[in-house]
Amino acid sequence: MNANLARQLELLPLNLSHHVKLTVIALAIGVVAGIPLAILIARKPALRSPVLTTIGVIQTIPSLALLALMVPLLAVVSDLSSRLIGSGFSSFGLYPAVLALSLYSLLPIVRNAVTGILGVDPTLTEAARGLGMTDRQTLLRVELPLAAPVIVAGLRTATVWVVGTATLATPVGQRSLGNYIFSGLQTRNWLAVLFGCVAAASLAVTLDLLIGSLQRAVAERRRRLAIASIAGLALLFGGGLVAPSLVSASRGTSGKDAVAIGSKTFTEQYILASLFQQTFADAGIPARRVENLGSNFGLDALASGEIDIFVDYTGTIWANAMGRSGPADRDAVLAEVTDWLASERGIRSLGRLGFENAYALAMRRDQAEALGIRSIADLVPHARDLAIGGDYEFFERPEWEAIRRSYGLDFAREDTFDSTLMYQAAASGQVDVISAFTTDGRIDTFDLVLLDDPLGAIPPYDALLLLSPRVSGRSDVISALSPLVGSISNDRMRAANGLVDRDTDKKPPSAAASALRSWIVDPEGAD
Amino acid sequence: MTRMGRPVTESSTMISARAVSKSFDGGRTQSVLDLDLDVRPGEFLVLLGESGSGKTTTLKMLNGLIPPSSGAIVVDGEDISRVDQVRLRRRIGYVFQGIGLFPHLSVAENVALVPTLLGWPAEEREQRVDELLRLVHLDPEVYRDRAPSELSGGQRQRVGIARALAGRPRIVLMDEPFGALDPITRDHLQIEYQKIHRDLGLTTVMVTHDITESLLLADRIAVMNGGRLVRLGEPAELIAEPGDPYVAQLLETPRRQAERLGDLLDAGKGAR
Repeated sequence: MNANLARQLELLPLNLSHHVKLTVIALAIGVVAGIPLAILIARKPALRSPVLTTIGVIQTIPSLALLALMVPLLAVVSDLSSRLIGSGFSSFGLYPAVLALSLYSLLPIVRNAVTGILGVDPTLTEAARGLGMTDRQTLLRVELPLAAPVIVAGLRTATVWVVGTATLATPVGQRSLGNYIFSGLQTRNWLAVLFGCVAAASLAVTLDLLIGSLQRAVAERRRRLAIASIAGLALLFGGGLVAPSLVSASRGTSGKDAVAIGSKTFTEQYILASLFQQTFADAGIPARRVENLGSNFGLDALASGEIDIFVDYTGTIWANAMGRSGPADRDAVLAEVTDWLASERGIRSLGRLGFENAYALAMRRDQAEALGIRSIADLVPHARDLAIGGDYEFFERPEWEAIRRSYGLDFAREDTFDSTLMYQAAASGQVDVISAFTTDGRIDTFDLVLLDDPLGAIPPYDALLLLSPRVSGRSDVISALSPLVGSISNDRMRAANGLVDRDTDKKPPSAAASALRSWIVDPEGAD
Repeated sequence: MTRMGRPVTESSTMISARAVSKSFDGGRTQSVLDLDLDVRPGEFLVLLGESGSGKTTTLKMLNGLIPPSSGAIVVDGEDISRVDQVRLRRRIGYVFQGIGLFPHLSVAENVALVPTLLGWPAEEREQRVDELLRLVHLDPEVYRDRAPSELSGGQRQRVGIARALAGRPRIVLMDEPFGALDPITRDHLQIEYQKIHRDLGLTTVMVTHDITESLLLADRIAVMNGGRLVRLGEPAELIAEPGDPYVAQLLETPRRQAERLGDLLDAGKGAR
């Protein structure tokens, strides 16, 4: 437990500084855009309702969806700008996160500012005009100072919201305190999840207190308190803006030349990313990590050079990216996927890592034995009495459609879970069948059995080691990674996953990666 | 008086309104009707009337706070519809009905507002603030840094008057300036302001509904009723010759009070 805590603490400067940076930029944009907007609609009553309704509607979009939607939106804008002015920008990471969070912060900022400005005693604005103030002077010298407490209250609300919502920037490729929460959830590391929550809450409370005391200091004309709060805010904000690059520099992970290792949001991907990082470290190649990419962002990020190294699975590319369905031969799929990646996306595949992380239906061993179920076909007569659980994407994926169509399956209930909780739901009997991954360590941990797929409805899921166009010609990268190709069997991968996912004597992904490396070097040690 | 710059015009009017009307709600509410009024330089003119008589609207039209619907207003020889409204207002002192001190500014900052807007250097502004606070009988050492909320009603209105005078205006407009004060404070302030008016050679237009106040302060009284100017004259003329049933009715109350007070004073002398 203590080692776990120490690991989380070690990550704190990196995660926290990125979180602060994200928050500060988003809030700054929110204020710079929101206050003038509020002034405009305070002056023009006809615009008030449409504007407030629009930003209210933005607020109702679930934050995770808003953040995710910014990626394709920015991709379109970036594409447009690279066509028009010859330079695009990244549609992952900081930009989509900042854009979504700024939009989110608008509602409290604009609503409070409008309320504050309209709430100023009309006799005072008339006095201002009567004394000979211009509209601008009336605004700056009378209306805004008198509305300041209400405006600042809105800013404080926005700050707390943005700090909380910024944890959701992790899936679009922006490091934040959400990295604790997302990887913690995926690796069943509840301490990490809690650590992320506590860190985010502490940051929110600290910022709120500092802004609040600055407001009080100004209202009560207390110079020392004002200086102290400004110093505190400047320290936090300045630190947030500068620290990420400092922290990265001190870890030798900054710079355009560093090879970016991307990973999706589950244990296996964290372990593989660690494995590549260790491999690069031994080879003296600078590398950095881009963690917790949403499943479908990975290939795009690879093609555009946001990331350089990525592991994806033939079946996923086959079904999701290429839009193919139906039963297919393992080698034929591999060949087609490899060709498609090279010709359509400029992505080079170094080949299979060796294991296959396929979707498979899994059940509790005792229940499967009691019902006499060994394959998906055996499920058919029982399915109406059984509940199936799937991860977020499973029921939307073509594989599920293929399974249902091929076997004529119809379950009593379909429940969606976070994949971590899905295994527990199966173990505790909440659901009877789940969409497991064949290399998942939790299959052994929870004593589940994988059901055969005699009709071949589920496509093959060979893990492919993929390189971005940027590094596909770098011989040092290729020679460092080549020994890994074909070296990781299903059993090895599942064993490594199990080290991280089990409940007792949990290991961090980096330790599992080390174990994996030792098994590759010394095949006898695999078991 | 160097800051004043401009030579005093030889014209016998400082402010003149010609056929001025003001309607609101697209003509449905007629607030001021066909007003003709001349204010002489150095004069203390009181606009007297009940609420809704159009007196405050008239006052606000004189410095452009409310634009007239028709007619022309000439201030110091210039048609105010053709001058920069902001500069016009900085040249005219204004004392507001609700006093209108800015709660987020100190007494000194409130008083120095117009000089600040006019871009006076800081040292000159500070001197002016102290000078004005002394003029309205507030010790600068004590009151300069106070917040308006720390002042009594009378002190606030003193600051309001100091603020109106800060930019060395030749014209001061006052909207019911003493209405909210207790009788003794009101009496003091009236006398003090009258003295300031004379000493500085100001032209003052004051709005009030208080008949006694208008009789005591005004050089001339303009009585307004239903948006029209019904009588214009010196207080003694109005008492001697109301000339209008409404004016006669207005003056009835103070006349009766004065007679009663006179009787009481006579009785007091007799008893001695």
